[in-house]
Amino acid sequence: MLRGVLIARDLGKTYRAPSGDVVALAGFEHAFSEGAITAVVGPSGSGKSTLLNLLAGFDVPTTGGVWLDDLAVHQRSEAERASVRLRRFGFVFQSFNLVTVLTARQNVELPLGLAGAGPAQRRRRADDLLRRFGLAQRADHLPHRLSGGERQRVALARALANDPDVVFADEPTGALDSVTGREVAAALRDVAAEGRTVVLVTHDESLSSIADARLRLSDGRLAATEHVPSRRAAGGDQVTVREDVKALAPAAVPR
Amino acid sequence: MVPSLATAALLRRPLRTFLTALGIAIAVGSTVVFLSLGEGLRQAFSQELSGVGPDLQVSFGDLQTSSFAEIPELPIAYADDLLAAAERYGIVNLVPILLHVRSGLSPGSAIVFQGLPADADVASIYVDFTIADGRQLAAEDEGAMVAVLGPQTAERLGLGVGETLRLNPRASFDVVGIGGGAGGLLDNSVLVPLTSLQAAIGVEDRVSFFVVEIVEASKANEVAAAIMADYPELGVQTRAELLEVIERGLAISDVVRLGISAIALIVGAIAVANTMLMSVFERTREFGVVRAVGARPRFLFGLVLLESVVLSLIGAAVGVALGFLGAWVVNLVSLDLIALEVAAVTPRLVAFAVAVAAGMGLLAGLLPAGRAARVPIAVALARE
Ligand SMILES: Nc1ncnc2c1ncn2[C@@H]1O[C@H](COP(=O)(O)OP(=O)(O)OP(=O)(O)O)[C@@H](O)[C@H]1O
Ligand SMILES: [Mg+2]
Repeated sequence: MLRGVLIARDLGKTYRAPSGDVVALAGFEHAFSEGAITAVVGPSGSGKSTLLNLLAGFDVPTTGGVWLDDLAVHQRSEAERASVRLRRFGFVFQSFNLVTVLTARQNVELPLGLAGAGPAQRRRRADDLLRRFGLAQRADHLPHRLSGGERQRVALARALANDPDVVFADEPTGALDSVTGREVAAALRDVAAEGRTVVLVTHDESLSSIADARLRLSDGRLAATEHVPSRRAAGGDQVTVREDVKALAPAAVPR
Repeated sequence: MVPSLATAALLRRPLRTFLTALGIAIAVGSTVVFLSLGEGLRQAFSQELSGVGPDLQVSFGDLQTSSFAEIPELPIAYADDLLAAAERYGIVNLVPILLHVRSGLSPGSAIVFQGLPADADVASIYVDFTIADGRQLAAEDEGAMVAVLGPQTAERLGLGVGETLRLNPRASFDVVGIGGGAGGLLDNSVLVPLTSLQAAIGVEDRVSFFVVEIVEASKANEVAAAIMADYPELGVQTRAELLEVIERGLAISDVVRLGISAIALIVGAIAVANTMLMSVFERTREFGVVRAVGARPRFLFGLVLLESVVLSLIGAAVGVALGFLGAWVVNLVSLDLIALEVAAVTPRLVAFAVAVAAGMGLLAGLLPAGRAARVPIAVALARE
């Protein structure tokens, strides 16, 4: 299945502060492979969250830009970026990522409702997703009554609500024990197997081993691009990520 | 989801929500009570005038100053002049009335005396006037010290037929009848023969005003103009003008009362704004998540505005209930003091209070809603 391609070109963010400017990210270039998990790794302060904020359109870059196919996400208004996130992106965060006052089902229904789905349609889709993640019995529970693993699975269900092209996961196992962490990792693999682009930000080396490619950030720069051989073999027809950028950038990305 | 989010927001800190709603309730309640005073008087007057009001009312000079003047100013001789030309003016009936207020030690003991010719057809002036006990004044009563009491006056003073009502050290009236209660001002008056009252207070040939019935009520303006052309020193008011004068007075007092209420309402609005601002601040993380998954800024703006309006309307609902209670208490007191229900919580007053509260919620919610819409996602998500 062909979905949208997420591309970053010369992406950079400099925070202006009275004590001096902080270059959190500079010259980042990458085309994220579809149907694959791309892990972003690096030490604390290396710019991982900054990168995710820019890719997801939470924040706007100071240099370069982000394209989803030929849509220049960074040039869009707040409302238009919200609409891109709603319809084409999904999100799983480390913790506290569910709306605490809404039940599991209502959390999954939230993006569906925002996208204008009717009550019946919303409910059907939410229940399908909750069932898929083994949460059918938990649909009417508020997040505080769910375990960490269950919460993260609700978050996954919510991320998939509007059938997104790209799923962002920021330390999705950070608050989980190793067993439930592995469950979430497996679920992310399934998400990628559906042809979606998965961008996984993590410190956790064992989690990053589920990725097809690993982008190592250091001091706000892309220091290395590593491929996980077994995954590459399983992934079949993927090209090298670096080549991918070169192949796509000039033609597909308007300057 | 929006109802769940809004409800949860209001229930998140129930005590804070309760106190804020209480503030609005008190503001709205006091507004309702204040404005109900005007509505009550309006009802009393329009009841009085639409049912029984004269086509024309003639006074000496300006009506407003002269009708209730301490010393009556209108020479009774004008009655003969006007009646002599009754045909030309189109006058059917003319009744001179002398108003006299016996003030008491407390406002509640004040009594309004209405002196009118004993043979006057009271029912033609006060359409709904009936007699509940005793008898009506009759022609032979002229000059006699007899009185017919309005039912509320009788009740207030505890007087019945056969008892005596004192006006001043020199004059007392025997009660010969009790009115049946038509509502309005007559119920609070004491009707006595004109010449008896004139003698009692020592004004031989003057009255407060004439009430005039004319052939064609629709010609009131023309008749009034004709009389005033002949007698420039007289003031002639049509019923419509009379209502207008009263309405204008009430409108001015409405503005004054509204001004006082506005202070309470503004304080209430500030409380709502403050509560909503705190609530938005506490939910920064939640709003960050909602925005991250794709809500437009407008969604959170609308959500917070809705919460603000709902909070205000909850307060308004309680406030209207308080207003009814307050008006009831005011009437208890005013019935006791002046035998009149001065407060009335009318439907339009309730509608006005609810609309004001909704507008207040909307206004108070603008700033917090703007904050909510601009929650920076990256910063909100980074917060623990
Ligand atoms: N809003 C901001 N204002 C100023 N500087 C910032 C801001 N956000 C991040 N930074 C700085 O940018 C750099 C990159 O931060 P970022 O949060 O992207 O790192 P990270 O790799 O996500 O770290 P961690 O693994 O600890 O989450 C850091 O030096 C950080 O201090
Ligand atoms: Mg980070």
